Amino acid sequence: MRVILESKVRSKPNLPIEAEAIIPRNFLKGTDHVVFEGNKERTLSELFWIFVEGTAVSPENIEVILKGDTSRIKRVGEYMDTGSIVIEGDIGMHCGNFMSGGTIEIRGNADAWLGREMRGGTILCRGNAGHYCATGYRGEKKGMQGGKVEVSGNTGDFCAEYLAGGTVHIHGSTGDFPGAEMRGGELIIEGDATRPCGNMKNGSCVILGTVHDMLPTFEKIERRVLPEWKITADVYKGDVANRGKGNLCVRSTGLY
Amino acid sequence: MIERDVVCPFCGCLCDDLELETEGGKIVKVQNGCSLAESTFMNDTRLPAPIRRTETGWEDISYNEAIKETAEILRDADRPLLYGWSSTHGEAQSIGVHIAELIGAVIDNTSTVCHGPSILAIQEVGHPGCTLGQVKNRADVIIYWGANPVEAHPRHMSRYTTYATGFFVPEARRERTVIVVDTRRTDTANIADEFVQIERGGDYAVFSALRAIVRGNASVIPRKVAGVSKEQLIRIAEICKKAKFGAIFFGLGLTMSRGKYKNIRNAIELTDELNRHTKFVISPLRGHGNVYGSNEVFTWMTGYPFAVDFARGIAFYNPGETTAVDILRRGECDAALIVASDPGANFPRAAAAHLAKIPTVVIDPHVNATTALSRIHIPCTAAGIDAAGTAYRMDGVPIRLKKVIDRGYPDDAEILKKIYDLLNGGMGP
Amino acid sequence: MTELWVKNACVIDPIRGINGDIMDIAIRDGRIVESVSDRAEVIDAERCLTLPGGIDSHTHVSGTKVNFGRYMSPEDMRAGRTKRKGKMHVTSGYYVPTTFGNSYRYSAMGYTTLLEGAMAPLEARHTHEEFTATPHQDMMANTLFDGNWAVMDAVREKDIRKTAAVVAWTLKAARGYGIKLTNPGGTEAWGWGEDLTGIHDTVPHFAVTPAEIITTMIRANELLKLPHSVHLHCNNLGKPGNYQTTLETFELVPDLNDARQTLYATHVQFHAYGGGTWKNICSKAEEITRLVNSKPQIVMDMGQIMFGRTMTMTADGPMEFNLHCLHNNKWSNHDVELETGSGIIPVTYSKKSTVNCIMWAIGLELALLTKNPWQCLLETDNPNGAPFVKYPEVIGLLMSKRYRDEECAALHAGTEQKTSLYALEREMDWHDIAVMTRAGQAKALGIVSQGKGHLGVGAEADIAIYPIRTDSVDPAREYRKVVEGFQKTRYTIKRGRVVSRDGEIIVDGANATFWVDAKVPEDIRMENDPEFIKRFEQFYTVRMSNYPVQDVYLPRGRCIETEAFT
Repeated sequence: MRVILESKVRSKPNLPIEAEAIIPRNFLKGTDHVVFEGNKERTLSELFWIFVEGTAVSPENIEVILKGDTSRIKRVGEYMDTGSIVIEGDIGMHCGNFMSGGTIEIRGNADAWLGREMRGGTILCRGNAGHYCATGYRGEKKGMQGGKVEVSGNTGDFCAEYLAGGTVHIHGSTGDFPGAEMRGGELIIEGDATRPCGNMKNGSCVILGTVHDMLPTFEKIERRVLPEWKITADVYKGDVANRGKGNLCVRSTGLY
Repeated sequence: MIERDVVCPFCGCLCDDLELETEGGKIVKVQNGCSLAESTFMNDTRLPAPIRRTETGWEDISYNEAIKETAEILRDADRPLLYGWSSTHGEAQSIGVHIAELIGAVIDNTSTVCHGPSILAIQEVGHPGCTLGQVKNRADVIIYWGANPVEAHPRHMSRYTTYATGFFVPEARRERTVIVVDTRRTDTANIADEFVQIERGGDYAVFSALRAIVRGNASVIPRKVAGVSKEQLIRIAEICKKAKFGAIFFGLGLTMSRGKYKNIRNAIELTDELNRHTKFVISPLRGHGNVYGSNEVFTWMTGYPFAVDFARGIAFYNPGETTAVDILRRGECDAALIVASDPGANFPRAAAAHLAKIPTVVIDPHVNATTALSRIHIPCTAAGIDAAGTAYRMDGVPIRLKKVIDRGYPDDAEILKKIYDLLNGGMGP
Repeated sequence: MTELWVKNACVIDPIRGINGDIMDIAIRDGRIVESVSDRAEVIDAERCLTLPGGIDSHTHVSGTKVNFGRYMSPEDMRAGRTKRKGKMHVTSGYYVPTTFGNSYRYSAMGYTTLLEGAMAPLEARHTHEEFTATPHQDMMANTLFDGNWAVMDAVREKDIRKTAAVVAWTLKAARGYGIKLTNPGGTEAWGWGEDLTGIHDTVPHFAVTPAEIITTMIRANELLKLPHSVHLHCNNLGKPGNYQTTLETFELVPDLNDARQTLYATHVQFHAYGGGTWKNICSKAEEITRLVNSKPQIVMDMGQIMFGRTMTMTADGPMEFNLHCLHNNKWSNHDVELETGSGIIPVTYSKKSTVNCIMWAIGLELALLTKNPWQCLLETDNPNGAPFVKYPEVIGLLMSKRYRDEECAALHAGTEQKTSLYALEREMDWHDIAVMTRAGQAKALGIVSQGKGHLGVGAEADIAIYPIRTDSVDPAREYRKVVEGFQKTRYTIKRGRVVSRDGEIIVDGANATFWVDAKVPEDIRMENDPEFIKRFEQFYTVRMSNYPVQDVYLPRGRCIETEAFT
């Protein structure tokens, strides 16, 4: 079954919409769902043109497609466990929060907190992602714990902060402090980064581009070939400001 | 008439030993206060009555009219923002929170542009701190990091730290080692025993290096970190470890520079590490007189110190998303109520500009930069001058601000209560 | 005049010796009376269990430390969020809820009076502000004296009268209720990052010992005729082998008061550990209770822990730091000049941890081994051992051996041989529970004469009606019904008004705050003591005139005056 949601033109287009109801499973029971625009409760049909093609008996066969201006829609795919969501344009914050299964594809850019506290499933963002991509919530000890987040473009700051499990793969560059407080999982950055893995405790991070402002508290162990990436990289252990046992592999560094 | 032990409401020091001389309902002399205190009490020019913008300028309106229109503006909004709160008392702040939960607003205080990052850091690692008297009576090592109290908190050093006579440090300055860390040589740096000059944006790296040294991992540290020599870092670490009682104070140089809350987090983790060797505490130098009070009031009422979003009925908190600057920059809110602060002067241009595009109401004793962006300005009392109420000092000590004179203005809490009542169909909070 | 008539109530009122009688209760203008007119509003209790309103004699719900627990825990605020509804404000939080969250949840459980366990006098205003925002319970605040410089000076001078005068002045200034000692002397040592290891260690720079502080304060307390006794959090909390310190401390306590205990020892579970390391820690509840059973002058509370995530918060700064070094989670500390300290860290009590299992067992052992339920009151040191919403489960465990056995089966295997819990057959009855959750607290706090903890004529009409029929429920077997029954009253009546019905708050609250003004002779009042004033102005960072809490912070303050030294 395919559910197409095309956003309607709104009189106040900057108002955020919170739409955690948009997960494939919910459309088994029809399209009568509640979303929120600012402090007002709305029905899905007030904000979207809804088209349903075909039927489904189980949620894994449901595909939800979002069209139009969806850049202010938050929490799409929150607690999603199966099925798929395709977002043709940009998506608002917190897409795929707590996701445990299924796939989300974003053809445009994703706003902040993409895949926050994710447990499983796959998120593919073909554009750029904002700050706090694949991270956690304020005060929590663990960020993303499982699954995969892949971003074709760049991300903002604090990418994969508190990463505890799963894989985060950024094809472009990240901003400041990717992998800060990392405690598990795998972070791959194909482009450049500044100050990676501050205070990391565990897990591994590979940066194929150039690192700027490398932190002084990583202990260089060796320089070796990483066969899976076909590069030679410096291998560091750290963060020794902590009792860190993380691995950080860096192809090249800029200035301290 | 002489009024003794008056509390200055200006900054987070809340010095409570001022002497004010009043004459015929006017303050004529301020003693014991710093220059900031003097101007707070003496330069207190206010609007005579509420004003409303017209097509060509401003018109005077009655309080009732202003209150009624404010309530209507808030009631009609889909994403109202209630911002400010740091220069008024807890009683007004508390009614502000009740309004926010009633109408599904976002409520935020000035932490958003000062020590919000400190709060985020504390939420990650906690806060080893104390009241200022502990520092005064015990500290033999004092560190100011990214802070310039000589200008921003002029009496901090004389009342609470460097120059204060303490029980266990009767010789005050002579018994204390003062370290100043900054990117430039400030007036505060000039009195330091040890000045550490860091390259801009290098604070995080320096904290990391100090932590590693204190942990015994000095061998990993390169010869220079962010412009600071390894020798100096090792020396600083030794001074700290040998202290009987050390205290770090930090300011906006740390919270608002590159890395923001990670800087503070790293500072706190250094403090934590030092506690395994001796006694160490750390504290933010809070700016506005009662900004810490707004954090306290928000917290016991909503669970969160700032940036609380009631749009969904429950309280939601996510700085970066629910903070006033971010909401304005994204053009989300469609009405704003600004109380006891001046975002027009302190916010980034793009954020402040949005205030002019939406109906904005200011409740503040003084005309300020935000007035120029607003639709209505309602003058009121100034907490600590002509209104009494509770304020929290930067270390969490609650102090009662005094009403020194009567100028005939309504208390902002009273104005807010009337707005609340209108929004609630006549019922009180 | 408002009147209420509760009929068909199955009343257990231990203070008046009523145990399960079916009776009616007449209420006029907030108090219990002989009879009411036929215009009174009627509530049919339908023979449900009806008790005086619950009283918590040791909980942390308001003030600097509690609020800092909230401040640093946005992750906890995500749990337990409710919207504004009717008379109810928004609430957030599970183990450190907002003030309204605390108040509503306590009220739903039938609790109408709370004693905040620790208030630093310098920050008392904060506690009172939060009391005002905790509208459905009458409040009182234990006032911290453990590291009070003026007290330690007077103790060193062996001057009980002066000690008492300092206490009287400070209680009045802070609008406090009673004397709290948290790790006496230890919190001052923590000002230097140190701690004390026993009650005969000397406090650095002050030349006094915890034993001297405790014994002098006990005598000062009685000299002041305070309604409550000294309320003590013993030294060495949470350390393996600390039961020795606890026993030594209890041995110091004379029997000085006919109406109540002479020492209230709080959260004794945390003070009843044998062994010497975390590996060989074991329960010493039998030793502790053997002594308490022979000393009627001591009342303790359980300090029960329950499994799950919570927050520890105490004035015991050094203990929190030690705990932090074990857990390596976030840690906050807040020392208060010339007075006390405090620390906060989150913890998770796990059934996989032998230590946690032993701790869980010890709390229950203490209650079950104390012969007289008036001497061991039920609480969790909220939120240290568990959030107070777990009380119904604790009640269930005390009433049902079967429930305990089922829980024990899931515990770490090493627990059985390190405690005596598995062998204990005792099952408490409804009357025991009524004692341990209200009557005992009222007596221990000295508020029976204020009309608390009983339903006699003249008492405050604070009443909890639970959806439990004691004649048809067998708590030993149907403990789930007991737990559910105590989670939500059918009615909670506060000062003659129904405030909560089936768990929902239906009115705005209007609590009272009890505080004590002990009048000491003019010549030894601290406000007349030039040396005290001089030291105050020199070493505090607030002026003495700005220190006392103004009456405006207690909109419904109820002052209990005592004529001290007479």
